[in-house]
Amino acid sequence: MNPSGNDKQPILEARNLSKEFHTGGAFTGGTVKAVQGASFKLYRGHVVALVGESGSGKSTIVRMLARLYDPTEGDILYEGENVLEQRGRRALLDYRSKVQMVFQDPFSSLNPVHRASHAVHRPLKIYDKARGRGALRQKLIELFELVSLTPADEFIEKYPHQLSGGQRQRIAIARALAAEPEVILADEPVSMLDVSIRLGILNLMADLREKQGIGFLYVTHDLASARYFSDEILVMYAGYIVEQATSEELISNPKHPYTQMLLAAVPDPSRGLKTEDADVQGEIPDLTDLGSGCPFAPRCKHVMDVCHEAMPGPTRLEDERWVRCYLYEEGVPVA
Amino acid sequence: MKAPANDPLIQIQELNVEYRTLRGAVRAVENVSFDLYANEVFGLAGESGCGKTTVANAITRLLKPPAYITGGRILFRDIDILQMSPEQLRNFRWDQLSIVFQSAMNALNPVLTIGNQIIDAMQAHQSISYEQARGHAKQLLRTVGIDVQRVDSYPHQLSGGMRQRAVIAIALALNPELIIMDEPTTALDVVVQKQILQEIKDLRDQFGFSILFITHDLSLLVEISDRIGIMYAGKLVEAGPSLEIFADPKHPYTDRLMNSFPTVHGPRRELLGIPGAPPDLIDPPAGCRFHPRCELAIDGECDKLIPPLIRIGGERDVACHLIKEAEVVS
Repeated sequence: MNPSGNDKQPILEARNLSKEFHTGGAFTGGTVKAVQGASFKLYRGHVVALVGESGSGKSTIVRMLARLYDPTEGDILYEGENVLEQRGRRALLDYRSKVQMVFQDPFSSLNPVHRASHAVHRPLKIYDKARGRGALRQKLIELFELVSLTPADEFIEKYPHQLSGGQRQRIAIARALAAEPEVILADEPVSMLDVSIRLGILNLMADLREKQGIGFLYVTHDLASARYFSDEILVMYAGYIVEQATSEELISNPKHPYTQMLLAAVPDPSRGLKTEDADVQGEIPDLTDLGSGCPFAPRCKHVMDVCHEAMPGPTRLEDERWVRCYLYEEGVPVA
Repeated sequence: MKAPANDPLIQIQELNVEYRTLRGAVRAVENVSFDLYANEVFGLAGESGCGKTTVANAITRLLKPPAYITGGRILFRDIDILQMSPEQLRNFRWDQLSIVFQSAMNALNPVLTIGNQIIDAMQAHQSISYEQARGHAKQLLRTVGIDVQRVDSYPHQLSGGMRQRAVIAIALALNPELIIMDEPTTALDVVVQKQILQEIKDLRDQFGFSILFITHDLSLLVEISDRIGIMYAGKLVEAGPSLEIFADPKHPYTDRLMNSFPTVHGPRRELLGIPGAPPDLIDPPAGCRFHPRCELAIDGECDKLIPPLIRIGGERDVACHLIKEAEVVS
């Protein structure tokens, strides 16, 4: 499942995506640079994880790809077609049926006054996936079975409050699958669930990618689950994607100083807390007040003068990996 | 790892708590017993609804109806916390015990400066002048890694991590002997979490208080605790030195839990997880509460008899019918 060949067309591609938000009043307001120049590709049956701390811009990227926000700059390509240039409700509907979302909080993403079937019913109708009562019900049962909510005819009658967090998240996934998507954007889909339930959801998504060839953009703050579920990891810091590598490479051989810090911060029971972990320091910067340099420079132990001047461009280290850091200037700049 | 040779600071004996709801009594904590020693970090782990926070709230006497303590004792040294008069309780809280909650970052009063909130706590319990208290507050902020200038900052001017540090500073203000920390870092990013855990451990070494640390994150718990207890569906199923449990979990639930979270350390491996979901405690399964999810359950035993928590050598305690047999033989 490694689409390294250039012959394979990405299903969804972000090209140089940026998003700015304006805050405050007309004269007093600042600009939050939430995402700057994000580029990456998603393939069929391939999982890309977007990892970063809160405020790093990962959810903003997801919302741009879901067409909930318009990017300030950059393009979104679906099967090579520029999505942002398409106009009209029909085109948006088509795109959204192909690119579905699963949200973080299964406790608020389902309508409490409707039965579980309602959430899955709506996309079936909106995207016209089944006509007539019999066909609709048939489809509902299939989808509930697909996400292992069995016996399905019992589960479709339940209300959200009768379901556990894990079951609700399965419904959210069934809802996304109802549109027959090629890509699922999963924004922290397991972070609100209990440990023993999380794995079930991750394994379900892994199964869907395997059997249905769905591509996933998996957004998380948890490097360990990213490693478990994804083929490739993008690390975000303060609006920039600072490193991209295959999951195993990134975990075993992190290049960017921020990735190294992030990995050092993951609890490691076999080692216990050690004083050398004091390397983990500082907090993420205020995004309204970013200088021109690398936003990680104030926390970086390898910081050089040049780091304060401008954000380095991506440097390719190997075929499938690049990093944005002056420490790796000997690499080949990414065009 | 120190051996807790001294007398226990807190002894929880056969604690039972239930929530009386319209649907019936939820037996949230059943016959839970453990000791917490001086200068020790004891970690309590388990999934949501397993009763870990209820135990913490019982110790602090913060349980309110519909929660009722239906049995057991909680001894602080030799005084039963559950029998304390309101006056005793008032002195016990803060002077000997303080609490850091999960959402503590949001528990700060938004219209008071950080400094004044620390000073408040001190002046309410000690005869200390404002100036003295302010000096002490600054010192506390420095201790938890906040710039002293921040003493006059309001909560909204601080980041989440700094607010959580400020709450820890308040918890330390009266030099308590026990601090209960209920998911103190769950709302924080990993990097900030790491910094705060480090801080907590350093402070413990410096001041010598005990910590009851509650979290669902087992790897974090093993990292910070000297000993841990694992709760499942209102019962304590395993307890012992954290590294020993991590290396060799005895209870099938602990074992499966350890196999449920991916890690960045060591080789990547397939994870099994735990089938099913925790039970509804209005009508918990008979016998061992874990038996419906346990592959190793013995018919006629695990589904009928409640396994007692037994000492299996060293400092390890386990409540499982399988272990009894295995350990008695060896």
